[in-house]
Amino acid sequence: MALGINLSINMMKSIKLKLKHKLALFNALSKAIIVTVLLFIVPWFVSNITIRDTDNLLIHKLDQVLDLIDRLGIEAYIDMDAELKAFGSYNILKEEFISIEQIDHAEQIDVIQYSQRIIEDELVEYRVLSYSINENGKQYLIEIGKSISTIVRFEENLKRFAFLFLIVVITLTFLFDLSFIRYLLHPFNKIVDKLRTTNHPDSFNYEPVKTTTEDFVYLDETIHSLMRKIEAAFNNEREYISNVSHELLTPVSIIQSKLDNILNNSGLDEEDMIKIYESKKTLRRLTNLVRTLLMISRIENEEYILTEKVNMSTVIKNVTEELEDKLIAKNLELRLQLKLKDFLIEGNENLLFTLLYNLVNNSIRYTEHGFIKIASFKKGNKQIIEISDSGIGIHPDKIPHIFSRFKNSNETKDSYGLGLALSKKICDYHNINVTVSSVVNQGTTFMLEFPH
Amino acid sequence: MRILIVEDEKSLASEIKQFLEKEDYNCDLAFTGTEASELIAVNPYDFILLDIGLPDYNGLDLIKEAKEYNSEAYFIVITARGELEDKVKGFDLGADDYLPKPFSLLELLSRIQAITRRKFGQQSSVIAFGNFTLDTIKKHLQYETSPVDLTKKEYKLLSYLVLNKNRVLDRLQLTEHIWGEFFEDDYDSNYIDVHIKNIRKKISVFDDTNYIKTIRGIGYKFEY
Repeated sequence: MALGINLSINMMKSIKLKLKHKLALFNALSKAIIVTVLLFIVPWFVSNITIRDTDNLLIHKLDQVLDLIDRLGIEAYIDMDAELKAFGSYNILKEEFISIEQIDHAEQIDVIQYSQRIIEDELVEYRVLSYSINENGKQYLIEIGKSISTIVRFEENLKRFAFLFLIVVITLTFLFDLSFIRYLLHPFNKIVDKLRTTNHPDSFNYEPVKTTTEDFVYLDETIHSLMRKIEAAFNNEREYISNVSHELLTPVSIIQSKLDNILNNSGLDEEDMIKIYESKKTLRRLTNLVRTLLMISRIENEEYILTEKVNMSTVIKNVTEELEDKLIAKNLELRLQLKLKDFLIEGNENLLFTLLYNLVNNSIRYTEHGFIKIASFKKGNKQIIEISDSGIGIHPDKIPHIFSRFKNSNETKDSYGLGLALSKKICDYHNINVTVSSVVNQGTTFMLEFPH
Repeated sequence: MRILIVEDEKSLASEIKQFLEKEDYNCDLAFTGTEASELIAVNPYDFILLDIGLPDYNGLDLIKEAKEYNSEAYFIVITARGELEDKVKGFDLGADDYLPKPFSLLELLSRIQAITRRKFGQQSSVIAFGNFTLDTIKKHLQYETSPVDLTKKEYKLLSYLVLNKNRVLDRLQLTEHIWGEFFEDDYDSNYIDVHIKNIRKKISVFDDTNYIKTIRGIGYKFEY
């Protein structure tokens, strides 16, 4: 039992309904309960009233009969000589009857009850008033009956009518409630919409929602002030990144220009020129590091818009064109198995290009012989891009760390591990699931599962 | 050619100036937006190199301003902030090129030359060496009348060398020019060498002069 309740509570929890539907449903349910109660009470109540009415009528009739007996004497109804000392009268439709008969026992009878009588072979349900009188020392029982079939029919009709009436009323009020709730909750929905269409505090619409409901005004204002705070935080972060970028890259730029000029002014011997060139290389390494870190920070700060319609087939084409020369230089075969022709996703084209470029470039770097394969296909309803190679592979111990910053799979090459960290960031930003499988000395496969 | 360099880092500005003056460009320096604004108002410039990260001025406003007084001037926007919107806005306002810091001075020069070639007619667009002609507009190489089949990147590499003939170009400069701003982790690679080897091979089919000299440990030099 407890389990059942728990189960149903859990089910209730897992079902998510809109507020307006919940309110309308609640209204409908409460009305249904009221109606059900009414359906039982109203007929009972009505039939009680009719019965009392009938009883009053019967009593009234009894008074009339007693009055008649008083005036005309019991003999007017009962033949004293007949063996069966009884009188009976009913109308053609057997709706009413009156009977008087002599009885033996002496106790006083005065009841009204339901009773079935057979009249002309027909069983009829009556409300019967039984009353005994003493006349000339003899006991007589007067019974006045009124058929209750009309009452029953009336009751049934009433039930049916009430049922129909209530159904109509419920439906109408439900519809009315629904539209009223919808009208009432319109500002609330607008607030929800405002939040839903905002994927960055920058694009938030600060126009107040029109409403006369104080709670909604409060909600709207609270969200606005919260949004302003978030926006300020985002802007601070953006400015910070921008300043860091400036502060780091400007000195690098100065050094680079100075080195360029030194090389350009020649007059240096070969040894010194090589030293300066080596310094430029180190500087370039620093530049790449700073740029990549800044790009990661910008992604973390959600500065890239994600609403471009990007054709991944085109991105793959551009990446392979860009890297074609490297493939040729290393004498690697490019295998393209693109089963998805127009592979459209919503995202940021620059980032997606960088993602694929990094992955393919990474594969080329760690592959000396064989092939680089780029495949796109559908698995279930998911769109997949796979980049695999016949390279040196990644040791199983290292796979969990390849996406971490400043860890790389191969210490012999001076890679700084930021390329894959950036790729992972881009994937997370786009909700792309990236998985790696690798066999040492056989190759590595990166699988990208795009959100549906 | 008269160039205005708008750059708040004095040291960088003077390096750029020194480099460009060696190439016979006439350079003025402005270290603040206000200075730049004044200079733009009175002097006609062919090029304006603009660092849009100025402390006293919104660099983008300066473009608008300059378009009034120096409508003929070409803009190369420089930034170290790497703000994506700046690049887009810059181009929207009529910037002709965009260079993220740090850039090599040679790359800056080649951008200036490219704009010059693009804007000042076709004559200078064809460069000849030996019996070869390199068309920088159509982007192809020809020996007498027969085309030399170069890949896109090979062409880009060769033309860069040719346009900077008799100058040592190091591998970094070549890499930066043909691969741009991609986040290369392995710029130390030998891809440039492979390309050069292929270009030499393709040229030697027609002419066995060694135009591309190897500068040990640094890079290459086109001699003609």
